Amino acid sequence: MHAFPLQSDWAFVLGSLDLLFEGLVVTVALTAASIALGFLLGFPAGAVEVYGRGPLARVVETAGVVLRGTPLLVIIIILFFVVSVSSSAFVTAAVALGLRSGAYQSQIFRGALQSVDEGQLEAARSIGMGRLQAIRHVVVPQALRRSVPGFQNEFTIVLKDTSIAIVIGLGELLTVGQNLYQGGQSTAALEIFLTVSLIYFVLTFTTNRTLDYVDDYFTIPGGEQA
Amino acid sequence: MRMSENRTSRREYLTAVGGTAVTLSIAGCMGGGGGGSDENEIVAGTAPGFPPFEMKQEGELVGFDIDLLEAVVDETEYTLTGWKEFEFKSLIPALTNDNIDVVAAGMTINDERDQTIDFTDPYYSSNQAIVVRADGDFSPGSLSDLSGHAVGAQKGTTGESVVQEQLIDGGSLSADNYNSYGNYVLAVEDLQNGNIDAVVIDQPVAETFAAQRPVAIAFTYETGENFGFGVREDDDEFTEALNSGLAAVQDGSTYQDLTNKWFGQQ
Repeated sequence: MHAFPLQSDWAFVLGSLDLLFEGLVVTVALTAASIALGFLLGFPAGAVEVYGRGPLARVVETAGVVLRGTPLLVIIIILFFVVSVSSSAFVTAAVALGLRSGAYQSQIFRGALQSVDEGQLEAARSIGMGRLQAIRHVVVPQALRRSVPGFQNEFTIVLKDTSIAIVIGLGELLTVGQNLYQGGQSTAALEIFLTVSLIYFVLTFTTNRTLDYVDDYFTIPGGEQA
Repeated sequence: MRMSENRTSRREYLTAVGGTAVTLSIAGCMGGGGGGSDENEIVAGTAPGFPPFEMKQEGELVGFDIDLLEAVVDETEYTLTGWKEFEFKSLIPALTNDNIDVVAAGMTINDERDQTIDFTDPYYSSNQAIVVRADGDFSPGSLSDLSGHAVGAQKGTTGESVVQEQLIDGGSLSADNYNSYGNYVLAVEDLQNGNIDAVVIDQPVAETFAAQRPVAIAFTYETGENFGFGVREDDDEFTEALNSGLAAVQDGSTYQDLTNKWFGQQ
């Protein structure tokens, strides 16, 4: 508009970095909250699916099927406009992403738990450990290590899906970027998309590398490889 | 032989889905309404990305709708406590769910929306402009000239309805030749890149683009469409207040000042 003389598109992006940073903070906070909630729900759910019996196992399994089978957009809209879990868009988005992530993570952990040879559980029981003890001290430590690769995927998915939160009015990195070219300098659309993509890439790359490092650090020397 | 334990039968699935729906609807009843505690405090909702009506500049929400609604509310006994930003398609759910009390987002008054929400008196009339490349050979003079050319519009807008109802439904444009975009900017970008030959947009928006980019308005199509502020159906008192506020703003010099500020010489 008139108040903003056209500057070069890259200069416009540079001048808007502070706004993009504010969006980035929302993206990172929302990802962290959702992954954490997803872990708190998904790990026990995965364990219940492997070892659980009776109604609890059925409830967990069905909840997982329903959540995995429902588009994230529908989950977030129901939680905000129909159920109104919270008047805060951030809390609602974190709950929606967290529930969905919990359903995904439960399958990561289910696979990891099932990958540990059953003979180990039998061996642990034979030296006098209880069932719960054996699961906790023998199976879980190995399973957690094997869940790292799947977890890397899950992190990447949640990070990028945070951008859906604008349907309930929570603007994060991508929304800030879109507002920049829609209202500020419309010719800078490509430059803004490239910059936003670069930020997503840096986030994904560093987190995946950190998880690789965690994976290496906790590797059992000479242990059975997954 | 027995069935695999991990399979959820159809019956179990339906029971669970039904159960979830019941839980959700009960929770919905307990959720209660949002909004301010003071009855005269209102929150407005908009969808930035529709210059010059509403957009973000340097992180600030600005535009014709923003200034106009604030001026209108100033004429009433209500207080506008703030703005919430949504995607355009979320505005009506946000309004009916009490997240916001009024929509100011260049929203065209039409029968479909009127079934769910109410509108104030119209505050702006906008026709559709057909935008083409300024240096191109293609200069249509009427909608029928668009036949056989790739045409674009923003999803969910009146421009899209014009293409759909006047061209595609009438058989003069094949549906393959219509491209729907998430935002006008992307449609105009594609026009400049030569992927489409024309874009159908609201006239004031088209004039903004024509001033900034190598595109031109080929002709305008009169739809006689009116923009109104969206309000809840049961909020009659508030609607009345906005209507008299709007009348006061239009009678004074404020309305003219705002159109001059945001649309230039009109």
